Amino acid sequence: MLTHNYLAETVVQTREKAEGVESLNTKLTAENLSAGFGKKKVLDSVSIEFKEKAVTAIIGPSGCGKSTLIRCLNRMHEVTTSAWVTGQVFLENQNVYDPAVDPVSVRRKIGMVFQKPNPFPTMSVFDNVAAGLRLNGERDRKLIARKVEANLRKSFLWEEIGDRINESGASLSGGQQQRLCIARALAVEPEVVLMDEPCSALDPVATAKIEELIIRLKETYTVIVVTHNMQQAARISDLTGFLYLGKLIEFGPTRQIFENPHNELTERYISGKFG
Amino acid sequence: MDMGLSRLQNAVVDMANLAQQSVMKAIEAYAKGEKITQEAFKRSNELSLLASEVEELAVELLARYQPVATDLRFIKSCLEIAYGFSRFGRYAYDIAQVLEVYGDLSECDKSVVQDLSGTVTRMIQTSIQSFKTRDEKLARSLRNDDDHVDKAYLDYNRELAKAPSIPIRCAVASLLVLRYLERIADHACYIGDSVIYITTAAKV
Repeated sequence: MLTHNYLAETVVQTREKAEGVESLNTKLTAENLSAGFGKKKVLDSVSIEFKEKAVTAIIGPSGCGKSTLIRCLNRMHEVTTSAWVTGQVFLENQNVYDPAVDPVSVRRKIGMVFQKPNPFPTMSVFDNVAAGLRLNGERDRKLIARKVEANLRKSFLWEEIGDRINESGASLSGGQQQRLCIARALAVEPEVVLMDEPCSALDPVATAKIEELIIRLKETYTVIVVTHNMQQAARISDLTGFLYLGKLIEFGPTRQIFENPHNELTERYISGKFG
Repeated sequence: MDMGLSRLQNAVVDMANLAQQSVMKAIEAYAKGEKITQEAFKRSNELSLLASEVEELAVELLARYQPVATDLRFIKSCLEIAYGFSRFGRYAYDIAQVLEVYGDLSECDKSVVQDLSGTVTRMIQTSIQSFKTRDEKLARSLRNDDDHVDKAYLDYNRELAKAPSIPIRCAVASLLVLRYLERIADHACYIGDSVIYITTAAKV
């Protein structure tokens, strides 16, 4: 359950962290990243550093390349027909586009949560979270059960549905389904969690729970969130990047972006003058 | 939101005009020995009410639109500027009260008050103009005038501290009015600081 004091505390923590964000280590780096589909270029020479254990929000109007950017970070982009990528992405010192690197291992280390909750509909809540573990070869039932519970707790779901874990994941509310998807992503112990508009299909209460969860997740993970919701970016992120027509227009501490953007385009976009 | 911001600007400008008028009348009345306490009190109350209206409008804009960047800085600054103008009204009332309390001061030398009044009146005009035009340079110029006002106020204090040769009631009345003028000058500077914050995000 959310409490007023708890939220106040997290806001302060977010602010403190944002003020010292430049001193955090870099977890993930994109260098001159361009991407597109066939002849269409969607992302244009984007270079950006994502800080470890911080939340980075990517904002920008529809079609600016936000989703493409994060899908390039864990090599999800290339699964689409006619998709192409140039440039480099480093997870610490490892170039994830190195031919020797297995894309599946990249996607395990860099997990993803999508806009629409997509639990496996025929699986129970338990099996949804356990699925990734089993795919990775884990067979120890007790260990799987422990990890499922731990990740449902991390996702603030255990208290709500701990007694319903054998029911279908599809029976949960939209917000619970999204948290189930987050639990599923966390179960395989990623280092980075990508979220592509994770709250756009949710009501305000469910959104608040996901936002609280995101703030908690950064204690352990590097979190990158694509959002259309400017206030959400302002609430939850330490750093914000503004993309426009495939280019990274401005990137900096969230407070600076929303209080004093240095670029006129950023100012106009976040003020709702276009987009 | 643009309509709301425009309403906010207009409300603050209305306050600015009333606050300026209030201070100028108080200074003029003090110089001429006219009692305007009731009138000044009424204007001070009016300014307080207008400041409350500005506050309500600002909070409504924040709640409805969650503004950011320049819009956010403008709204935050309007709250501070409105408070500054309401203080102008209060100090104008305080100046008017000096005559009420001390009675006829026609035998007192008011030249030091008159000298400083000119600078403070100019500062009020400058602060209002800088807000209306969002002129950072004009806003920054207020600090120079404020140094002059502070010096004049301190010099007068020092002069009195040395065994004043002027009647005590004249000395105290002048000192009080100078103190109020000095505070008005400070608030004019704060308004200038808010204008600088709106235009550059720098906190002076």
